[in-house]
Amino acid sequence: MERGRGFVFSAIFACSAFAVGPMSVGILRAQQSVPDAAAIGRGGELLGAQCGFCHGTNARGGSSGPDLTRSALVQEDEGGRQLGEFLRVGRPDRGMPKFDQLTDAQMSDLAAFLHDTIRLVARRNLYKILDILVGDAKAGEATFNGAGRCATCHSPTGDFKGIGAKYEPEVLQGRMVMPRGRAGLPSGPPRPPYTEPTAVKATVTTPSGPSFTGAIVRLTDFDVVLYDQSTGQMRSWLRNGDVPKVVVSDPLQAHVDMLSKWTDADMHNMTAYLASLK
Amino acid sequence: MNKRSTVARGFSAASLIIGALLVGALPMILAGQSTTLSSDLLGKPPIDSWPTYHGDYSGRRYSTLKQINASNVKNLTLAWMYRANLSRGGAIVGGEGPDTPPAGVPATASIKSTPLVVNGILYFSVPDHVYAVDARTGREVWHFAWKTRGGDHIGNRGVGMYGNWLYFLTPDNYFVSLEAATGKERWHHEIASMKREYFSSNAPIVVGRHVIIGVGGDALDIPGYLESRDPESGEVVWRWNTTPRPGQAGAETWPGEYEMSSGGGMPWLPGTYDPELNLYYIGTGNPQPVLTGQSRPGDNLWTCSIVALNPDTGKMVWAYQVTPHDTHDWDAAQTPVLIDGVIDGRPRKLVAQASRNGHFFLLDRANGQHILTTRMIDSANWTKEINAKGQPIRNPAKDAIVAGTLVSPSTGGATNWPPPSFNPDTGLFYVGTSQTYGLFYLTDTDPRPQGWAAAERNMGNVGSALKAIDYQTGKVRWSHPLAMTANGSTGGAMGLLSTAGGLLFGNDGGSNFVAYDPLNGKPLWHAGLGVNTSNGPQTYLLDGRQFVVVGAGDTLFAFSLQ
Repeated sequence: MERGRGFVFSAIFACSAFAVGPMSVGILRAQQSVPDAAAIGRGGELLGAQCGFCHGTNARGGSSGPDLTRSALVQEDEGGRQLGEFLRVGRPDRGMPKFDQLTDAQMSDLAAFLHDTIRLVARRNLYKILDILVGDAKAGEATFNGAGRCATCHSPTGDFKGIGAKYEPEVLQGRMVMPRGRAGLPSGPPRPPYTEPTAVKATVTTPSGPSFTGAIVRLTDFDVVLYDQSTGQMRSWLRNGDVPKVVVSDPLQAHVDMLSKWTDADMHNMTAYLASLK
Repeated sequence: MNKRSTVARGFSAASLIIGALLVGALPMILAGQSTTLSSDLLGKPPIDSWPTYHGDYSGRRYSTLKQINASNVKNLTLAWMYRANLSRGGAIVGGEGPDTPPAGVPATASIKSTPLVVNGILYFSVPDHVYAVDARTGREVWHFAWKTRGGDHIGNRGVGMYGNWLYFLTPDNYFVSLEAATGKERWHHEIASMKREYFSSNAPIVVGRHVIIGVGGDALDIPGYLESRDPESGEVVWRWNTTPRPGQAGAETWPGEYEMSSGGGMPWLPGTYDPELNLYYIGTGNPQPVLTGQSRPGDNLWTCSIVALNPDTGKMVWAYQVTPHDTHDWDAAQTPVLIDGVIDGRPRKLVAQASRNGHFFLLDRANGQHILTTRMIDSANWTKEINAKGQPIRNPAKDAIVAGTLVSPSTGGATNWPPPSFNPDTGLFYVGTSQTYGLFYLTDTDPRPQGWAAAERNMGNVGSALKAIDYQTGKVRWSHPLAMTANGSTGGAMGLLSTAGGLLFGNDGGSNFVAYDPLNGKPLWHAGLGVNTSNGPQTYLLDGRQFVVVGAGDTLFAFSLQ
């Protein structure tokens, strides 16, 4: 859906200008509740002991029981009430015994665990990236110094010294592919993208005056606004066709050009190499 | 104008006459209006109104109005503006939620609905709110505010109208009817469970005595469905499930009931309708889990499909899947645009879609027969081949893996929900596009992954453009690059409007509302609105004056000639 339904990740890790238009706003989910960690823990143990044999220890279904996390009854349950009513009776005709020995508190714990499990599925901004270090660091090093042409700008003893100790592999990989702005870095105070060294630049030359180079604040068919990072000054011009002349230059052009060239294997190898630069 | 488009228009006019004869027997919609509008809205938008989401049933978003045209558009100026206020003060209040909105409900409006205009009153919505505004002056007539229980408030596509009644959906899944004259609520019905992460954003479409609505939601693995509701009572007339149940056609493309009955396929957007064929066309959403297909081998019908339904029965007549077994969140909900055109010298009834997966599709809308598939962005790197049926077949190596795969486009797609436009005068289909990249990381390695099952990291955009596609060849006739910022190219999917005045209204990604020359993409006029337009522009003529109305953020702007 909405399309382009929300990208919390984008909001956190990427520059909003990368997003594809008005649909890419963050998910605004109205209902929020604070999970009770102790109850969830007790519920998880209870589920493993009482339900796991049939429904799996993660409740996603097992040898003979259905997935509880996708169950409408579980999803609709409020605090264990409906779940409790069901469990006290069971569904014996379909092989589901009753669990009438469970107390109300246990029903509530079980529900807390199931609801939290479902919550963690539904909240994709909470998904954790797993161990992505699968590449061959040696092969990555060869690409770094060879076909990747990374060594043209970067050096393992210069700007990349100790980089593997400084950042998580996921950050290394993301920044390697597209190091624009603060994308992928631990969030600091927000700052306009045109103040970043990686900002796309443009040079404006008017028919009568000197040229002016700066970071692009905005460039449309009708106007151009540049920011001089050394003075903090902003300047704007109206555009009329080719006047004034505007030439765009991207300090990250090499990275942009690589987007269509990366193989996923090269990318993983390079990440492994960068991670090895401790 | 070329020879072909003249033929296309000639055929269009002929089919309209036939259509008008056929629908004479159908019930009228908006029958209670002083201006009676027939249900024949195929390719014939009334000029003094905009009575349904796309203006007419065709989804072309083409108006025959030409008071505002290429020669005078430089004189287009602001007539009025209206800012959508989310305060309940002064509003008519309904709803089942608490007096104070739950945390997470946005504090400012973003207008994504295309306003209706009927009898000089403009009706539009944002999540939880409906507004009636004088279409001549921008004066508020009434404001209805819904007390929400929650739900995803990402957007609302608009209201539908039947007789003197309005219909809209809420994020907490109520189907609500209001009296158009007063904004007073008639009734509301719950259509889906918020606890299962359903939320509703669709604009109801009225066909005969059917109010057609679709549900949304993709946080959990839940089934999608489309419903017809009775305009009087709001009760269900039929329901069409977007994925099959065991034994039904398409069930063979799923491993089993567990997967297909939790397989998503949300019909996010309003459809289009051909009264002559009596077929309602919708695009369906992507399968669940969203970013991995390991638990659902097969094509996963009828997700990511263009589907033709009989609106009287809700039965599927044909379907064409534009992405078999999607693994990148590229729903095919984008408008199926109805074109009466000419292929190989023969008049054809066609349906076209500029799809989120980066491809343009053209089908015969009578039977779903495939005519052509073309790629509309250069960066797309996920396909292995286009098969004999014209379907792009994914390269499984570009599915999410733990270590990450670099895919273009990103989940947002080459385009998205904002409505495209087809201009019968130029024979061109217009769509806003972007060329994004994303890293797709599998995060759920369970044999039964759930929800999205993977995380995405955005890797930038190598070029957004407004494109004009020749419907007969699928080739891009012209491509106009959009704005840039310090982060590179920006903008992309945008709401578009074509007019007989030789104009194409859209945005430039840089917060300008722009009138483009539809023949070559040259900007002819613009106005800076502070933020990008956020809905589909529309137009109407009242008291001899043509207005063009567009939403940008929380404000509706109406333009006319001075």
